[in-house]
Amino acid sequence: MDARLRRVNKEIADCKNDKTSNIAIDLIDDNPFHLRGSFPGPEDTPYQGGHFEVDIVIPDSYPFQPVKMKFITKVYHPNVSSASGAICLDILKDAWSPVLTLKSTLISLQSLLCSPEPNDPQDAEVAKHFMMSRSSFDDTARYWAHIYAGAPSPKEGDSGKGKAVRDEIAIAGLQHAHVEQFESLGFDRTQVIDVLRRLNYRGANIAKIPDDRIVEELLK
Amino acid sequence: MSDIRPSSNPQEDPLEPPPTAPRLSSLALPSNEAATMEQSGASSLQDITPETELSTLTTQQLQELTQKFFDDTLSSRPLISALGSIGSLRTEYTSPSFISQLQYLESNGYVGIRRTRGDGDCFYRSLAFAYIERIMQAPDKELAVAKATSQLYETQKLLDAAGFQKMAYEDFYDVIVSLLETVVNGSNGSQPLTPALLLQAFQDPEVSNSVVVYLRLLTSAQIRADPDSYAPFLVHPEADIPLEVREFCEGFVEAIGREADHVQVTALSRALHVNVEVAYLDGRNPDHVDFVKFDNETEHDTKPILLLYRPGHYDILEREKSGASA
Repeated sequence: MDARLRRVNKEIADCKNDKTSNIAIDLIDDNPFHLRGSFPGPEDTPYQGGHFEVDIVIPDSYPFQPVKMKFITKVYHPNVSSASGAICLDILKDAWSPVLTLKSTLISLQSLLCSPEPNDPQDAEVAKHFMMSRSSFDDTARYWAHIYAGAPSPKEGDSGKGKAVRDEIAIAGLQHAHVEQFESLGFDRTQVIDVLRRLNYRGANIAKIPDDRIVEELLK
Repeated sequence: MSDIRPSSNPQEDPLEPPPTAPRLSSLALPSNEAATMEQSGASSLQDITPETELSTLTTQQLQELTQKFFDDTLSSRPLISALGSIGSLRTEYTSPSFISQLQYLESNGYVGIRRTRGDGDCFYRSLAFAYIERIMQAPDKELAVAKATSQLYETQKLLDAAGFQKMAYEDFYDVIVSLLETVVNGSNGSQPLTPALLLQAFQDPEVSNSVVVYLRLLTSAQIRADPDSYAPFLVHPEADIPLEVREFCEGFVEAIGREADHVQVTALSRALHVNVEVAYLDGRNPDHVDFVKFDNETEHDTKPILLLYRPGHYDILEREKSGASA
């Protein structure tokens, strides 16, 4: 048997037999080189209670080349692209070693959710939010975990993606009052959200950004 | 046990082998893209002409020059090449001090070179090839194979102790052990290993890289098992800041494509119970070439492994020009 297939099969079996790590690896279709990993959001983080899925592609020269992983579940985190799910983690790039496995790599992703590295961001806007106001960032990350990863609602304590009504202002990590303030000037809500998000209109930044500047951006 | 000094120069600091050699950026070698992007930026190489005396260059310039050379040749060079003559290196150097160092090597019987690809794995690949070649050349091959396989068998305990999952290293172990066994038996009733077959095996990426990875993991396990001996010397190769054993091993030993330095050479030669001699060809001293010895074995039933180090790169040094005979 092909060495890559033998290794991947061993890794999948090892993960199935391990009941303690809470890491799961499943086949997406019949292709053993395109898999779906999943793990629970780590406790005492905004991701707690969520179920996070990761798209896994095993390259031809695995395990000599790193496995390709990206989040399927949308995650609000400085090292994960909020749009594409792309992940910035050294072991997925130049620090890869063939002694790492799919399971150990997924565990590293779980740890990444515990310890964001805003100085080496994948998503610059999210990283700015993280550095500007940690509590506001946590609220948004928690809201995303509720909406996209099925974590309990931060407010009512209920659970389930189905019941949640998506609030675009909360998804952008902004406050309703701020968005409504500029909406009342006649601007489109989506556009207001976009501009305020880009300008990182949060925490101490709010006092630093004059209304004129925002209107100027909205008129562009 | 805790002494990791090179035995030839007991007065020198063990981590400053004579002469101090510049290092390549660890990011640069495995990834051509990154290297090319760096090259397109401000380069200090513009003022260098073929007439420039290399000893006048800064460490950074030497590093960039070597990097450029390896970038230019990386894609076309085999993982490991057939034995060539050391004189062939002359065409690559115009510096008189390099030329006279090459002459020094030739006149002292070091006439052959087996070149490896500059992909960051060159030390491990060179050492692995020379390791098996020495066993093939041992007076009693069967004994040498038996001794090496039993030592390798024991190294698995070291890997287990380092916390590596058997599942993640056993394939690499099987490759190196099977290769060793063919030295005497051949594979599946075929001929025993010849120098040509060994070269063929090391040019096959799957075999070659499996052996490289096993040696990387063994190097890491050796450092992890004896942290007191190595801890003072574990520094970031570029930033020059001290690193924890784990950080060093994960980032600069286990990871593919990361250059080896004195610490890794010490640890691996010790873990494999082999004697290694590294010739430093760096143009700094035109009169001679320094050899740094890593002695671990007192019973010399195989010859020491000879490596040639040029700033940022290892090749295999040989005392013969043609690989046909033993």
